[in-house]
Amino acid sequence: MRVLSIDTSGRFNEIGLVDGDREHGGLVWEAAGNSLRDIILNIDLVLGKARLDLADVDGLAVGVGPGSWTGVRVGMTVGKTLAYATGKPLCGISSLDALAYQGRNVPTLLCPMVEAGRGNIYAAFYQAQCGTAIRRGEHYAGNISGLLKLVKEPILFLGDAALLHRQAISESLGSLANFRDPAEEVRGYGIAALAVARFERGERDDALSLAPLYLREPLIKALLAQGRRD
Amino acid sequence: MVADGVILSNVVASQVDLHARFGGVVPEIAARKHVEAIGYIIKEAIDSADRNLADIEAIAVTSIYGLVGSLLVGVAAAKSLAYILKVPLVGVHHIEGHIFANILSNPSLPMPCVCLTVSGGHTMLVYVRGLCQYEVLGNTLDDATGEAFDKIAKFLGLGFPGGPIIDKLSVQGDRAAFPFPRPLRNSKTLDFSFSGLKTAVVNMFKDRERATLPVADIAASFQEAVVEHLVSKTLQAASLKGVSAIAVTGGVASNRRLREALSERCNRERYRVFFTRPDLCGDNAAMVAAAGAARLRYGDVAGLDLSVVPHAPLESVA
Repeated sequence: MRVLSIDTSGRFNEIGLVDGDREHGGLVWEAAGNSLRDIILNIDLVLGKARLDLADVDGLAVGVGPGSWTGVRVGMTVGKTLAYATGKPLCGISSLDALAYQGRNVPTLLCPMVEAGRGNIYAAFYQAQCGTAIRRGEHYAGNISGLLKLVKEPILFLGDAALLHRQAISESLGSLANFRDPAEEVRGYGIAALAVARFERGERDDALSLAPLYLREPLIKALLAQGRRD
Repeated sequence: MVADGVILSNVVASQVDLHARFGGVVPEIAARKHVEAIGYIIKEAIDSADRNLADIEAIAVTSIYGLVGSLLVGVAAAKSLAYILKVPLVGVHHIEGHIFANILSNPSLPMPCVCLTVSGGHTMLVYVRGLCQYEVLGNTLDDATGEAFDKIAKFLGLGFPGGPIIDKLSVQGDRAAFPFPRPLRNSKTLDFSFSGLKTAVVNMFKDRERATLPVADIAASFQEAVVEHLVSKTLQAASLKGVSAIAVTGGVASNRRLREALSERCNRERYRVFFTRPDLCGDNAAMVAAAGAARLRYGDVAGLDLSVVPHAPLESVA
């Protein structure tokens, strides 16, 4: 089963192409505010290099976040529209699930995290099980120190945001905290691989109703809820 | 969906109710709603036109002028469709869309003409030299007209959006009750300004209990000042350019008093006035399709690297 994945929720945009459990191509580039400009041309590039047409793909996968609110909307709109127009099945995958998937063979607790702006992060805890990573508990949205208070055992941190906050994490958790060597960071395939697994289980998402995973309300709504604005 | 100047479908997912409690459009809320709605409205536009995706010969999208988060959802969807269907993609300036709403309404709109395009997001006088040829003559220096209506409606406790509410309420009020200032009255500029007028209204009544305010009279008098301002600058522009036709478009073009006052003035001074059909006054997609079709005839095709430009003068596409 050939799956094309699109993720524009993070600092790096990722397009992945897998055929079953085999990587078939892909492209990673820094978003830097140009996700919208580059996305279609880069999809075409990845397909072209694999000598494929979108018609040859069996399913589409799209990163639903959490991550950059504006970024995720680009990839999701493209993924949803391509799925609608081609009639191909679509699968939305969480960016945290995809990061955790990189640690699917690691015995300790896993903590993928992505940047949430204003020094905040989105994260969750996962445990490897039967060749995949299963989320334990709710998503976390907030500052890094709040997250670290929840950690009581050895843990592997994953994702760009973990490297960004590496010093704070190490100071707080000492030897409990483990990190991936940045060179080991595998990009672009987590979403496609997880989508293949979901498709094979007969699951798919509705291309019209699939919505981003924001984890936070817009600031104005949060202020309203606190009664700080009339 | 538009074919040869005929509207086959025109689907609008309005967010008015969503933003009402904030008294204006919240960009992040708007963008979230767009990404939720986009698939449904594309499907509905095709289904209600009783056509298939394969019938589409080109895709037009507003790529210039507006909220960046909203523009990019539309452009991302449009690029995807153009890529899949292998049809040309055309980027349209939002204001040009409003001008084409008038052309859709009045296929025989004479050119050159002066077009007043006025909404909740902009207020502009455009000299339309010919199809897709524009010169901006005047612009608002502060608020858009619709925004000024919103703010006064909020001050009077009337709700959102202010334009239609004030328009309706004004029927019961005396438009000569309060002599609010007419902005830039003795100036040669073709620009607009609403902040002084707004402040004058607020200052006159800010110390009064809201319940005791003569709301209908204030609404009618405020609307009259706004309308007079719009009408006088529009006529000034028409005279400067020596045109015989005036077009009026945009959300505020559906304002009853604006239509009445401008028609009277144009009648008296022998201008022909062309209003956009009420159902095409507000933001809609048919106007963008019409503008795109015209641009396509001039060979204006965008690449699949099309991006969004939140602020760019209309002349940049002329």
